[in-house]
Amino acid sequence: MTKQMKTEVVVIGSGPGGYTAAFRAADLGKKVVLIERFKSLGGVCLNVGCIPSKALLHIAKVVDETHEMANLGVEFAKPKLDNKKLVTWKNSVVGKLTGGLNALAKQRKVEVVTGCAKFSGSHQVVVDTKDGEISIDFEHAIIAVGSESVNLPFIPEDKRIFSSTGALELADIKGNMLVLGGGIIGLEMATVYSALGVDVTVVEFMDQLIPGADADLVNVLKKRMSKKGVQFLLKTKVTEVEAKKDGIYVSMEGEHATDKPACFKQVLVAVGRKPNGGSIAAEKAGVEVDQRGFIQVNNQMRTNVSHIFAIGDVVGQPMLAHKAIPEGKVAAEVICGMKHYFDPKCIASVAYTDPEIAWAGLTEKEAKASNIAYEKASFPWAASGRALSMGREEGITKLLFCPESKRILGAGIVGINAGDLISETALAIEMGCDVEDLALTIHPHPTLSETIAQAAEIFEGTITDLYIPKKKK
Amino acid sequence: MADEKEVKVPDIGGTSGVDVIEILVKVGDEITKESPLVTLESDKASMEIPSPVAGIVRSIRLNIGDKVSEGDVILTVAASQDEPQEEKVATETTSAKDENTKSGVQEKESLVQVAKNTPVSDTPAAKSEPDADSNAVVYAGPAVRRLSREFGVSLEQVQGTGRKSRITKEDIQQFVKAKLQEKSNAAGFSLPSAPQVDFSKFGQVDTKSLNKIKRLTGANLHRAWVTIPHVTQFDEADITELEAFRKSEAGKSKDSDFKLTMLAFVCKVVSKALAVYPQFNTSLDASGENLIYKQYCNIGVAVETPNGLVVPVIKHVDSLSVNEIAKEMTRLSTKAREKGLMPPDMSGGCFTISSLGGIGGTAFTPIVNSPEVAILGLSRAIIKPVYIDGEFKPRLMLPLSLSYDHRVIDGAEAARFTRFISESLSDIRRILL
Repeated sequence: MTKQMKTEVVVIGSGPGGYTAAFRAADLGKKVVLIERFKSLGGVCLNVGCIPSKALLHIAKVVDETHEMANLGVEFAKPKLDNKKLVTWKNSVVGKLTGGLNALAKQRKVEVVTGCAKFSGSHQVVVDTKDGEISIDFEHAIIAVGSESVNLPFIPEDKRIFSSTGALELADIKGNMLVLGGGIIGLEMATVYSALGVDVTVVEFMDQLIPGADADLVNVLKKRMSKKGVQFLLKTKVTEVEAKKDGIYVSMEGEHATDKPACFKQVLVAVGRKPNGGSIAAEKAGVEVDQRGFIQVNNQMRTNVSHIFAIGDVVGQPMLAHKAIPEGKVAAEVICGMKHYFDPKCIASVAYTDPEIAWAGLTEKEAKASNIAYEKASFPWAASGRALSMGREEGITKLLFCPESKRILGAGIVGINAGDLISETALAIEMGCDVEDLALTIHPHPTLSETIAQAAEIFEGTITDLYIPKKKK
Repeated sequence: MADEKEVKVPDIGGTSGVDVIEILVKVGDEITKESPLVTLESDKASMEIPSPVAGIVRSIRLNIGDKVSEGDVILTVAASQDEPQEEKVATETTSAKDENTKSGVQEKESLVQVAKNTPVSDTPAAKSEPDADSNAVVYAGPAVRRLSREFGVSLEQVQGTGRKSRITKEDIQQFVKAKLQEKSNAAGFSLPSAPQVDFSKFGQVDTKSLNKIKRLTGANLHRAWVTIPHVTQFDEADITELEAFRKSEAGKSKDSDFKLTMLAFVCKVVSKALAVYPQFNTSLDASGENLIYKQYCNIGVAVETPNGLVVPVIKHVDSLSVNEIAKEMTRLSTKAREKGLMPPDMSGGCFTISSLGGIGGTAFTPIVNSPEVAILGLSRAIIKPVYIDGEFKPRLMLPLSLSYDHRVIDGAEAARFTRFISESLSDIRRILL
């Protein structure tokens, strides 16, 4: 017999957007049910995305640094890597966070239902739980079902071929590996595996890694990763993958075409993510889902059905947790009668590679493609005392300004901690700061954050840490 | 190619964002110097922009409905071969420069567009709430943008008082307060709105929109009518002698290109009256507590055109002779009828004269042309029996209707002012005194 439940707000999916929306709605006095198909809360981000990958990237960075110490006069023995223990530690980090979410849900009296949800009407979802079906009547629903890795049709099933989720298990950290896709996820995992001693090759169809970012930033990363032994095959397309007993055989076309298939011990497929809009029988509630699986919403996160909202990866690019979280808040607040809108001026993107790449607002690529006038100033970290004292002078801090108002339009940073540094520029873009505001804000010395002020000073012509001959007019 | 020249919007009196309402040429047309290219319509008038060159139209860079300002490119012309060689060289260099400025303008426009599009993530064409999405290019932080949404205020309308004109939360509060105030003020004056009438019930009707001049003058007239306490003083002037003099003078200069009209004499007399009674050449300042006395004397003359009423202004009437005034009137009214009036031709007036004498009528009550404080209406002069020295004599009498702002001018002053005009017209020698 189907169990019946009734609630004011139902949230489908407990990723960062979903649990945020659920908790916010509960805090605003709503009775909330949060549905999650997996055992633990947190979605991709906490379980198999942002958090575990960052745990592994931290390990990779420490290992890398021990190598570099040798040049500085501190020599360590070759690290002994115990992948089981590494994974246990990584899982314990994830466990702490997801466990914390359960506690937060309990404190707010948000009821968690575990199982797959499908709409059965405009005001009802049915959840397939391990104890049978539960039908839940709701007043408002928030769809936060996220996205999943794209699989290529010609790739066979084999446990040596996996997506980013599988890569986090560190099943094998010896021999070689092919990373299919030179986007953020592929490069982050390439960074981890390379640091742990795997011989990594990255193949990318486009002519640039992380195609959304500016080339000058990406080149810095590429140079360093290449130095560490990662091979890059750009403008190259994988045409065939064959799993044989002694390895995975991959054929490629394009700039690095193979005469005969190349053999890899394992293959990571990181060619993108697709939205899960098609998995919830949205049509039964009348919610439109497009062919790709995206659900259209307005700037209050409302779908074409006015009491049903959608947030996060399933509503469109960029698929980022830090976009889903504020969207979740807006959806919950709008449901609770607040007149809020989702209208950021910028959403930063970060690749947590080593060095990190981060950008916010306008990129030079976008500016050129859309014919937007801009002027830029780049500060090379080779002139930053802090970067030098950390042995990491390869970074660049670049700011883009409107030629007329001199307001900041965008920023791009490559270098260690770029992901943390970018937030200042995001605030500057939101607040409409101009170059003077950035240059006149006193930044502590010596820090990497100084490079933002210094880039602004380059633009203003007031920099003293570099000598730049005056432009002839 | 080398002698293709860009034609730009000339100085239109510093006005910007003027509507293009008509494009009078098309690509391939052969044009001569001074042939009209486009018609622009500003708040005050429509004007035709004449071509500064002769040649063949190569491309048109404007569309009807565009808002243009001085320096915007109207079209390009392949200059005629008979143009002097030197000029061609000069043209070439300037046109290269123009390309640059033009692409600059385009970039700016696209920036605005893109900025408007960016905030709504990458969502496939999100449908926005109706009051929503105009906030992308304004200078305000996220908290202020949120507050504006809550009040439903479009930030484009809010004047920022923060550093570098950033909009603050207080600015939004002030804006909302001001709007509420406006409403309650309006409520004090509120009139029952006119009921909607379905005229088609009674017969066939056509609906045509008012042209821009009518709409704008309508708004100005309504404001003046509601805000200025009007009084109209009526009088008559005996212009029997003056008319005889005018006729004899007008007859003498048959060959001239202007008409010596009675209006020109009235204009001269009014300039004298304004000097004698300076409170008629004033405006109230914005506070309504101070009177601004003008030390110059420009007089507007209402002219009827097919597009509506316009008021070209004759500058420094006090220093012009009656002939010069008449000449200037002829020039301006021709310009007005040919849509050639520029905003500078219509600004700076101190006092307005509206003459319906050519049509008829005995008197009317003109509306003060705010921010001026008085207006003189002239009706048709007719021969009336006037009792002089014990008998009725036929005299040519010109009816005068002076409307004035009673906040500035007392009834007695208005009567004296009108009398002065009347007596001066009866005996023009008085203005020499």
